[in-house]
Amino acid sequence: MSTPETAPANYYGHRPNDKIETREQKPQPSPRAQVARELYFEAKSSASMEFPYWYTRRWEELEGEIPIIRRAEALKAGFSHLTPAIYPGELLPMGKAAYLRGSYPMPWLSESFFMAAEDKFYQEALESGKLTADTFTTMGTGGGNVTRSIGNVISIAGKFGLRVEEMPVMVEVAKRWKDKSVDDIGHKYEQLVPGYKEKEAIMRSVICMFDSGYTLPQGREVINYYYPLQYGIEGIKQICDDNIAEVAGKPEMDRLYFYQAVRIMLEGVQAWIRNYATEASFLANLEKNAIRKQEYEEMSERLHWISSNRPRDFHDALQLTWTFHLAVLNEDAISGLSPGRVGQVLLPYWERDIKSGKLDHDKSIELLECMRMKFTQIDCFASMGVVGGVLSGNTFNNLCLGGLTKEGASAANDLEMLILEAGIRCDTPQPTLSVLYDEKLPEEFLLKGVACTKIGTGYPAWVSNPVAMEFLLKNYGHEGMMPEEARAWSIGGCLETSPGSWMPLELDGQVHWIPGGSAPATSVGVHFISLPKILEVALFDGMDMRTGERIFPPHRLPLNTYDELWTAFQKYFSEAVHVLTLTNNIQHDAWRKISPSLINSMLKPDCLKLGKDIGQMGSRYNTTFNVETTGTANLVNSLASLKLNVYDEGHYTLDDYRQATLANFGYKTANETGSFSLIDQLPNAHYDTWKKIHKRSSEAPKYGNDHPYVDSIFHEWETWFCSMAHNYQSLYGQPLYACQISVSTHGPMGAVTLASADGRLAGTTFSDASMSAYPGTDKNGPYALFNSATCWDHSESQNSQLNMKIHPSAVWGREGSRKFLDLIRAYLRKGGFHIQFNVVDSRMLKEAQKNPDQYRGLMVRVAGFTQYWVELGKQIQDEVIARTEYEEI
Amino acid sequence: MDLTCNDCIFYLPVDVFQGTCKISKEKTSPDSPCCKDAERLPKCKFCLHFMSEKDYLGKCMGKTLAYPDMVASNCIDFEWAQKN
Repeated sequence: MSTPETAPANYYGHRPNDKIETREQKPQPSPRAQVARELYFEAKSSASMEFPYWYTRRWEELEGEIPIIRRAEALKAGFSHLTPAIYPGELLPMGKAAYLRGSYPMPWLSESFFMAAEDKFYQEALESGKLTADTFTTMGTGGGNVTRSIGNVISIAGKFGLRVEEMPVMVEVAKRWKDKSVDDIGHKYEQLVPGYKEKEAIMRSVICMFDSGYTLPQGREVINYYYPLQYGIEGIKQICDDNIAEVAGKPEMDRLYFYQAVRIMLEGVQAWIRNYATEASFLANLEKNAIRKQEYEEMSERLHWISSNRPRDFHDALQLTWTFHLAVLNEDAISGLSPGRVGQVLLPYWERDIKSGKLDHDKSIELLECMRMKFTQIDCFASMGVVGGVLSGNTFNNLCLGGLTKEGASAANDLEMLILEAGIRCDTPQPTLSVLYDEKLPEEFLLKGVACTKIGTGYPAWVSNPVAMEFLLKNYGHEGMMPEEARAWSIGGCLETSPGSWMPLELDGQVHWIPGGSAPATSVGVHFISLPKILEVALFDGMDMRTGERIFPPHRLPLNTYDELWTAFQKYFSEAVHVLTLTNNIQHDAWRKISPSLINSMLKPDCLKLGKDIGQMGSRYNTTFNVETTGTANLVNSLASLKLNVYDEGHYTLDDYRQATLANFGYKTANETGSFSLIDQLPNAHYDTWKKIHKRSSEAPKYGNDHPYVDSIFHEWETWFCSMAHNYQSLYGQPLYACQISVSTHGPMGAVTLASADGRLAGTTFSDASMSAYPGTDKNGPYALFNSATCWDHSESQNSQLNMKIHPSAVWGREGSRKFLDLIRAYLRKGGFHIQFNVVDSRMLKEAQKNPDQYRGLMVRVAGFTQYWVELGKQIQDEVIARTEYEEI
Repeated sequence: MDLTCNDCIFYLPVDVFQGTCKISKEKTSPDSPCCKDAERLPKCKFCLHFMSEKDYLGKCMGKTLAYPDMVASNCIDFEWAQKN
């Protein structure tokens, strides 16, 4: 068989070669984007104290002020004092802080994790289980991560560099928030929850990955750009002034303070934008190159304009949306703030500019590439367990394409085709792209999406529009959602189905109904429960055998039948959800009181209309708390193995399994081998004692093969989980729902879990996502995997997630694209919600692990996001390598 | 006081290790000694109202926590302690 390079007209794909195969060739980004990308590759994640210093200073000055006004003034002080930094060639300036990959601590949320390990704050946090996940997280050692202190730079959380001259003020400012931060206040009151000690034990055992109220209190949601576009900042201030006059002195006085707070905060945002405008003028005066000088002058004028007014054209609108995106990211520690369907939001401006000749396609793509670079630069300052163990350094800004219009027609458009083209040419991790798949979407658009996926970007992910709408109508119908509004949905974060609304944008006397988010964070609540660990603890009657600590009271079930085992699992899972819901509700209550959202609230319908922030249920939709899980396939496979080998065929007793898993089936630990992948594990001296039980466990039916024995267990789990989540209530009095994504948690959570009854060994990474098979166990091809994955109703859960790895040869050429689209369609038509792909030769990944410096730009899809290989921790790298690689579809 | 690029109005920080000169467009380190074209960047340590207390910490207006290397370009109270 000839190689792809020598057979460009090979339409049917080919068998993999002996050598590592690259992905299909792609066009390069514009020279401007290329410069930006090279600068990005050189830049390290850097933290600064400018914003937190001014925030804290103003906060302290206003002791005794109305809390929301105090918060607004503190934000205003932070924004007003941010030093602008404009980088060479930029067309879309502004950043979180004065570094290319800048971010900063927010001690008003949490102050313990970035203190020195010997500090008593840190030790207290460790004791309460808040930081246990940090100690089992492997950070990426390459790329932009500052993994160790060097010279005048201090490394924080294994990722962020801080100049040594800012270290003392960081410690001093952090200490001022002691007992005042959301973390500390929440912790004070969560201890009043009955069973609180159980919660601490759950955190220390890493059955739960992290608390949500003070770590990432916002995000996993879709921003709404409507108000700045429709009214401009001065227009929004006028809305506030009008409402202040209307509500002052009348009942529900909190509205007065909300409008006043929004107004104050906007003054800070205006000062921030104008400081950038001044810097652009300064650079114009220094610039010798006439073209760049003009760009700086235009930039300055544009920034001045949008600091007050509605955008005049596409470039203004793009700058304004980027500015507000950043502004929200600067008000809280946030991951997963999605721009949503921004290609539909900005379409009216773009079409007008194209029609008038102000823009052409090449210029449009260049601007969109600049947008990609800005999103890729976003970092989130958080603890190692959060930024490494969950986020893998990514911040999940998901841009969605397609779906339906308000009237129910295909919403795909020409600007979205260019967004895909920019994603192909300028392949960077962010914004990640998702296609909201509907049968009405045109073939040309879908094939463009396939062309983008094929080159190995990992995006777009493919998600089902009808399944998402069905989920939303089931869960938000009681809040008044109708099918028309369900069509305005989008993905928040990596894969969180999020409600939207249609808003009437007026341009040239015409009304354009644009979609945008209309709910707060859709992934807060119970953040990642380790399913295999719950089963492990159930087998040992409530004990974590790794630490010797009791987690749950004894269940006292003899486990004589499979039903008793299943009941014990359900009992512990339910107890964990119960106590974590209550404690997280308290944390989020502390958050809304101490650090209420102002910028995001102002943007979200109907906060501005009602005079309420999102913490007071000002959003149109508020049923947004969820229960997240990790390790689905390992749970299901373990239950199947125990059912078969213990209860149905009686080859072993449960005690045999307890002893075998404690002995790690006669293998060395993952830490001893230095690999977190099952295939790399090595036997120890006791291997012979356990090899038969390990063989039977490994050979028990596995999820992903269209096998009724195990799929019935999977169906039982899904049906029960999606139903039981509704039994718990959020802070807002709304039922929780199921959420099934792993992000990166399957790494650290696997690291603390003993060997499991499915044959998985101790410390190795769990299966990724929720619908993915465990690596190497799906042996009957992709369509068998699809049958297993769709044996339950996906619209019962906020999401479900399926990753597949495909060898580039399988989708090569024009016919390869057709086959690829057929494969995607097959899954979504069966009722699957989401599927995403790594198109890569695993040998390339192994090579990249050995020689990371030669693969700085290599990207892979993890679980809902794309990341540079060198910035991933080894747990996740090993897992991605081990995933089943399909050579034929 | 020895000035470094980090103290210069023409220094553009890329990250905590490196930056570029806005005039020459050359890469430089924040800790490199300033060149002849350097101009001081408004920072607390150059401000009339800043009083140093211990390493990397001090007071603003004699009462508020401050730190010497904070950029004060957007501080309305900034006044040069010494003219260039």
